[in-house]
Amino acid sequence: MSIRPAGDFKTTYAADMALLDTRFYRAGFLAVLLALALAPLWLRNYLYLLNIIGIFAIGACGLTLLTGFTGQISLGHAAFMAIGAYSSAVLTARLSTAVPTIHVFGVVFPGLGLWFPLAMPMAGAISFVFGALVGLPSLRIKGLYLAIATLAFQFLTEYAIIHAFGGVGAINVPAPQIGPWELAGETQFYYLLLVIWVAAGIFTANLARSRIGLAFMAIRDRDYAAQVLGINLLYFKTLAFGIAAFYAGVAGSLWAHYTRLITPEHFNVGTSIDFVAMVVIGGLTSVWGPHLGSAFVRLLSDGLRIVAPMLITVVPAFAKIATPLREIIFGVVLIALLIWEPGGLAMLLRKLKRRFDLWPFNY
Amino acid sequence: MTELVLGGLINGLAVGSIYALIALGFALLYKSTKILNLAHGELVLFGGYLAIALAGVVPFPLAVLLTLLAAAAMGFLIERVIMRPLFGQPLLSVIIVTLALGYIVRGLIVGLWGGDTRQFPPVLPAGVVSIAGITIQRVGVYSAATALILLVGFWLFFRYSLVGIGMRAAANEQLTASTLGVSLRRVFAYAWAFAAIAAAVGGILLGLWLGVNFALGFVGLKALAAVILGGLDSIPGAIVGGLAIGVIESVAGGYIDAHIIYGFKDITAFVVILIVLMIKPYGLFGTEHIERL
Repeated sequence: MSIRPAGDFKTTYAADMALLDTRFYRAGFLAVLLALALAPLWLRNYLYLLNIIGIFAIGACGLTLLTGFTGQISLGHAAFMAIGAYSSAVLTARLSTAVPTIHVFGVVFPGLGLWFPLAMPMAGAISFVFGALVGLPSLRIKGLYLAIATLAFQFLTEYAIIHAFGGVGAINVPAPQIGPWELAGETQFYYLLLVIWVAAGIFTANLARSRIGLAFMAIRDRDYAAQVLGINLLYFKTLAFGIAAFYAGVAGSLWAHYTRLITPEHFNVGTSIDFVAMVVIGGLTSVWGPHLGSAFVRLLSDGLRIVAPMLITVVPAFAKIATPLREIIFGVVLIALLIWEPGGLAMLLRKLKRRFDLWPFNY
Repeated sequence: MTELVLGGLINGLAVGSIYALIALGFALLYKSTKILNLAHGELVLFGGYLAIALAGVVPFPLAVLLTLLAAAAMGFLIERVIMRPLFGQPLLSVIIVTLALGYIVRGLIVGLWGGDTRQFPPVLPAGVVSIAGITIQRVGVYSAATALILLVGFWLFFRYSLVGIGMRAAANEQLTASTLGVSLRRVFAYAWAFAAIAAAVGGILLGLWLGVNFALGFVGLKALAAVILGGLDSIPGAIVGGLAIGVIESVAGGYIDAHIIYGFKDITAFVVILIVLMIKPYGLFGTEHIERL
């Protein structure tokens, strides 16, 4: 757990279990929240970066719970995101002239026209069901084999979606609608996202310290030993997959209503690997990990997209290496982190804080 | 109908022999290091692109030789720089590090060659041969022959050479092998070099046949189906699995593709993966691992 200042004794279990256990963390968390709440003021035109980071952070929270806390490797996280996105698209579609009807297996889908606050949890729930189903085999196959099975699931889902929705073309999704309000703009969507993002983050942290989270960690460390201790493997493994898929489904739903145009290409195996990269870069066993990782990965790929045109005007040769550069940096950062700091960015930050706490001494 | 099945069978065997070659790389590495290299598809492509680039400069046999040497060097390099510091790390780190390696190799390919389809200058007699009235691509025959040669070669190597026996010992039980004087470092280095060479051979044959394309990293994942079917740590399994996947894909997949649902062929391999994992997770010839507490 965190390193506490000397003399900071806890006298109650509640204080001992607190998510933010020192004044520094409480103040820091408030500062981050404030900065995020005021983001439209200081980010202006780059607010979309934060929207993308937030959506992927929500999805990555699920993968952190599944991979970091339960130890089940999933290379098919984007498939659940796709399921969430397409479910949400179908649920919110309505018969109007503005939004073309959706065809599912060639049948015109009438469109339920649900409001977003209803459609998003439903999309999450549909993903949850698929996640639990995918989680079932995890009792029999483990580790590497499970990773391959999830990879196969990823390809099958992509294929199923392409066929269900008639090809690789994009389908239109309405902007999130809450009652009579339509949250169309970048800023409006941001505040909607921020609420869900913070809620998802806090829920993850709380889940990780609850009985369920402890059971997950026991399974990660040794599943049969956990079973001996009375942890129902079937229940908790499928639950872990279900919860991870739920997060991904919510992220997919948000993504669908944010971009308002989804294609199966958004949720391909590359996105799945991006998710894995996010949780590893951020820190696998940290509840801050997914947020840091998502920020890092999205800033790297989208930031490079912003910087590239500027650099090209200075160094024309840069145009050719801009895309491969992203991939190479990505790979090198991942490998470097795994070799030197398996705890990820979260651990790096913690070490940095420790360095400052102890300065000018080493220990 | 028989015509269709027979044609599918023979062409499937030809495609399957390429899968088998690629799968061989997976199995070689897994057998001695227990690492599943998810960057293998990228290494295949790298071999293909490199050989094509070299073939434009030097004669074809020399280009092949240089590519194989470069692949071996790359294998050694990967082991030394990336894998050795991660020795003994949890499975997840190792899987992710190979994914990261895939990113780097892909970046290198796109950076160096742009990623569009490339083909060898015509070096081998092209065209088709006919076997029992069924015509197949001549390259299919070459790749089948190469697969067979490599299979026998590696079988002999693992059966009789000291390094090969050491590699099998390391695969069986790393610590015990290590205490008995098998240098794990050397075993791992050789394993990576062999895997990279097998990948490059696969890449060259792929380049001769279809031309290498950036999107063909996908083929590497289909070969994954082959090793899963054959058993991850079995070299004959990889070959049999590769041929089987090729045949299943072109006969069953082709049939379903044409008659039931379009585009099924590309997904057949993954359906096979799921079915095999459900029924017999260790594949046809894989060593069953019994977990004890």
